[in-house]
Amino acid sequence: MKPLDPRLLRRSRAARGFLAAGGALALVQSAAIVAFAWALASLVTGFIDGMQMADGMPFLVLLVAAASVRAVAAWLWDVVGSAGATRVKAELRSELLAALEAQPEGLPDFPTARIATLLGPGLDALDAYFGQYLPQLVSTIVVTPILIAMAWIADPLSGLVLVIVLPLIPVFMALIGMATQVVQRRQWESLATLSRGFLEVVGGLSTLLLFRRADRQTARIRAVTDDYRSHTMKVLRITFLSGFTLEFAASLSVALVAVSIGLRLVAGDMTLIAGLFVLVVAPEVFLPLRNVGAAFHASTEGVAASVDAFDLLDAAEDANRASVRAGAHAGAAADAGAGLHLRGIRVLRGDRVVLDGFDLEAERGDLVAVTGESGSGKSSLFAALLGFTSIEGDARLDGSVLGAGADVGTRSKMAWSGQAPTLLAGTIASNVRLGDEDADPALCTRACRLAGVELDVGLRLGPGGSGLSGGQAQRVATARAMHRLLARDARLLLLDEPTSAQDAARESALGDALVELASEGRIVIVSTHRAALATRADRIIELDPAHV
Amino acid sequence: MSDPARAMLRRSIPSPRRLAPAVLFGIGSAGSTIVLLACSAWLIARAAEQPPVLYLSVAIVGVRAFALGRSVFRYLERLTGHDASFRQLATIRANVYERMLPIAPDGIAATRRGELLDRFVSDVDELQNVPLRAVQPLVSAVIVLVAAVVGIWLIAPQSAVAVLVCLVVGIGAALLVQQRAVARAERTTAPLRGELQAAIVEHVQALDVLVAFDASGTGRRRIDEVGTRYARATRARAAATGVAAAAMSAIGGFAVAASLAAAAPLLQGGRIDGPTFAVLCLVPLAIAEVATAVPLAASALRLARASAARVAGAVPDTVPDGIPVMPTSPATPPRGDAPPMIELRGVRASWPVVATAAVDESGAAPTAGADDGRGAALTRVDLAIAPGERLLVRGGSGAGKTTLAHVLVRFLDYAGSYRLDGIEASTLDPADVRGIVGLVEQRPWLFDEDVRQNLIFARDTASDDELLEVLDRVGLRDWVEERGGLGAKVGERGALVSGGQAQRLSLARAMLARFPVLVLDEPTASVDPARADALLRDLTDAASRSGSSVVLISHAPVDPALVDRVVTIVDGRVGEEHPYPSTTS
Repeated sequence: MKPLDPRLLRRSRAARGFLAAGGALALVQSAAIVAFAWALASLVTGFIDGMQMADGMPFLVLLVAAASVRAVAAWLWDVVGSAGATRVKAELRSELLAALEAQPEGLPDFPTARIATLLGPGLDALDAYFGQYLPQLVSTIVVTPILIAMAWIADPLSGLVLVIVLPLIPVFMALIGMATQVVQRRQWESLATLSRGFLEVVGGLSTLLLFRRADRQTARIRAVTDDYRSHTMKVLRITFLSGFTLEFAASLSVALVAVSIGLRLVAGDMTLIAGLFVLVVAPEVFLPLRNVGAAFHASTEGVAASVDAFDLLDAAEDANRASVRAGAHAGAAADAGAGLHLRGIRVLRGDRVVLDGFDLEAERGDLVAVTGESGSGKSSLFAALLGFTSIEGDARLDGSVLGAGADVGTRSKMAWSGQAPTLLAGTIASNVRLGDEDADPALCTRACRLAGVELDVGLRLGPGGSGLSGGQAQRVATARAMHRLLARDARLLLLDEPTSAQDAARESALGDALVELASEGRIVIVSTHRAALATRADRIIELDPAHV
Repeated sequence: MSDPARAMLRRSIPSPRRLAPAVLFGIGSAGSTIVLLACSAWLIARAAEQPPVLYLSVAIVGVRAFALGRSVFRYLERLTGHDASFRQLATIRANVYERMLPIAPDGIAATRRGELLDRFVSDVDELQNVPLRAVQPLVSAVIVLVAAVVGIWLIAPQSAVAVLVCLVVGIGAALLVQQRAVARAERTTAPLRGELQAAIVEHVQALDVLVAFDASGTGRRRIDEVGTRYARATRARAAATGVAAAAMSAIGGFAVAASLAAAAPLLQGGRIDGPTFAVLCLVPLAIAEVATAVPLAASALRLARASAARVAGAVPDTVPDGIPVMPTSPATPPRGDAPPMIELRGVRASWPVVATAAVDESGAAPTAGADDGRGAALTRVDLAIAPGERLLVRGGSGAGKTTLAHVLVRFLDYAGSYRLDGIEASTLDPADVRGIVGLVEQRPWLFDEDVRQNLIFARDTASDDELLEVLDRVGLRDWVEERGGLGAKVGERGALVSGGQAQRLSLARAMLARFPVLVLDEPTASVDPARADALLRDLTDAASRSGSSVVLISHAPVDPALVDRVVTIVDGRVGEEHPYPSTTS
């Protein structure tokens, strides 16, 4: 595992700022440790040699000052770490949101739940990463060499011991890691299943009750948990070995240093003050490294979060490049004129062709129904016209090119409602007027009437539009598209299965509304699998998977 | 903290006998840290007096032994501590489960929605940290600290007092600040985190709509604004908790200075020798290192306490109103495999008030109004279902359809009369009622096993041929065989199967159990509309061919040929019965 994703440094100013501030703090810390050790060694030696309290006072002040500076530096680390984390999170979040907007239908490997988790709790993992792990990493890089150098100056032999032992620790830890990797992986796999055992029972409790199997589960829970314990302990026995190596090397080298100093003092080869200084400094040399080990969790989760974020950013950028490239193919033949012209349309989802060789000519006032089995590409066609997914071929509305790479303004000529209603928290009115909040309120009333929304437009909806039945939500979503059509005097209305949750009377009313809108000189395209709605159209276009 | 939470915490502490090894190894490890430094300091200071090496040999052996002991004891402490806490986890989980049984499923809000379920389970598992990260480290550290201070007292009482004061003040300050910072974090950070998460979820889920309506900028600005407030609150919290860390870091230096100043007069008075003085000066550093375990244990305990409170709140120890209780002497259920006559007269029922608030207090899980699985109340249901009848119950959302289904399988209690072949359902063991009336839930739970395991628990004597036959009846046989037969995995929470397939699988297992009466609650809720009709046809066909009565609950239109009779439920009332309206055809 990489301790730090290089993309973090390359792309994030805040992360670079954090590391610079951290480096400075680490220098201050090193100075405080050295001052503390020197003052302490001087005091102990001095008093043993018969120094008076008054003479020791400056050293005592230095001692307390150094301890205070160190404490303040520790506090500053927390402040700097948290500031770094919040800045990096804000940077990543806004970059990610911006990148996602170019791919509104999402990215194939990133379902919305994963994106939402990544942008929320996922990025919060950076708090511990910046607050606990990176400071220790910076300290290891800055503080450890300085302290070794100081120990070397005071006593070269001790310095040499530290220089030899210290690099051995990571080597040994890596060796242990490699030797146990296979065992570990095998264990983790069975662990993953076992750890879900309890969740399965609790989550499936109503099912177990329905089948009268709930009473038998207590023994099973005990058995699964005990199995989990014995498997986990097998893993931990090995996992803790690397921690053991670290601690063992640290305390053993302190012991080595102490014993060698003692023996040389007996021989009169060195001074007590140097000996005490090295004795105080030696454990501090290992401290950052030990803390890095302790913050291992923070590091894996933080790195995973930043890697995830950058992978998402890269994926979004790749997808954008791909669709812009595809968009560049669009429209060689200049055939300006009113209406919707689709010729030889090919729609891609990723590398998969979902619609091929599709033609459609629609004049103002046309009501067109698109039918076909699910999976025949109805929704993909709409997504492509909106520029959400790659489109090849000649697609234009009133002369302007459609699809990815089209002007932003082109989308203003279109209003759309998807298969899922996707309402937002807020009132019904705020949902219907989405994006055109300044439009005449009368348009909202008309859109609601056309779509059959009979609810009070002041009614508040919960997150995701909760509080409405599926049918009601669908009608509100239809009203929202109609409102945009009216407010922007747009040309084209795209409705995707607008009556899948409506009964026959509602379906027929919507048919009337679509006829009314088309007769005002707009193009209405509705995708549906209901014959009753399709027959209201001027034309029915049957999409079949053979097109693909 | 409420008493149930405290009781929950107490139950998560293993017996002293089980915890003892970890505590002892912890004492060994922390003790070695202190004695190692004491030995080293004495060795160096004594060596400087240039005695014969022989006088140093004990100290040299001590330094090596305690250096070794420290890491070995630490390793053993971690192992035994984890083992003890995992052993306790089995007890904790079994206890919580047994508490859930009498009120499950409708008396427990915490397990209804996916994210709440995860939270609940991780809260239960968090309780294993009580012994591991709180009790054991605390006990070990306090014993060692007391012993160290007493040890110093024996040599130089003044130094001991100085060290003790530093420890008490430092740890006290750290705990106090931590407490404050956490209190503030709970007030500000948690709700903001929830608000931010809700804004992000909404934005991401509605991204296609926001972009298509040119409204994404507004959403982003809102996220940025909440994000900025959340960041400010996080920074404030970090600055406060940082004070605690700083206090612990300062303890060492200050204790050294205090102990040194207190011991210096003793040295000058000749009451202690130089090496002893060096020990008194250096040992506070190691003592402070051991002391850092105390605030860590305290914050671990606080986390576990919050989890314990949520678990205790989510699983009350009394059965809430509206949940059926087991009758003291249950009546004998109607016998035989033939479907019984079902009569409901003046049935009223409502969902118990359960503590969703306790579960959501951290704000991590945004509450979603109507989507928490609670249904509307039934105000008056009069309904008779003849043996073998196929009945469609229609109604809008919030009309009480799911409530009716849950009353029929005795998940919810009722007032009025609900008889099975003339026997009042409330006089029966709820489990016996569930032997007669089966339910295929709106969102069926599939276990993370293979297809066979997901079916066989409905009737453990069923052979593979019987399983395949029942799969055939629900139209899944080809699908299962394509995927490699009964051993095909369904994935975590059925992730590898579609909503319709999950419905079919759960119908298959209900048919395997041969319920005389089968209730289907919105079987097409998570199914592509174009495939819904085919699914409904297969479901009702398969169910009624086995001779069972079928109650199909649906908000969407249903092909009239599939059912014998239709009733409509409006505002918790079952309205007039009528033949299926012919307008749809």
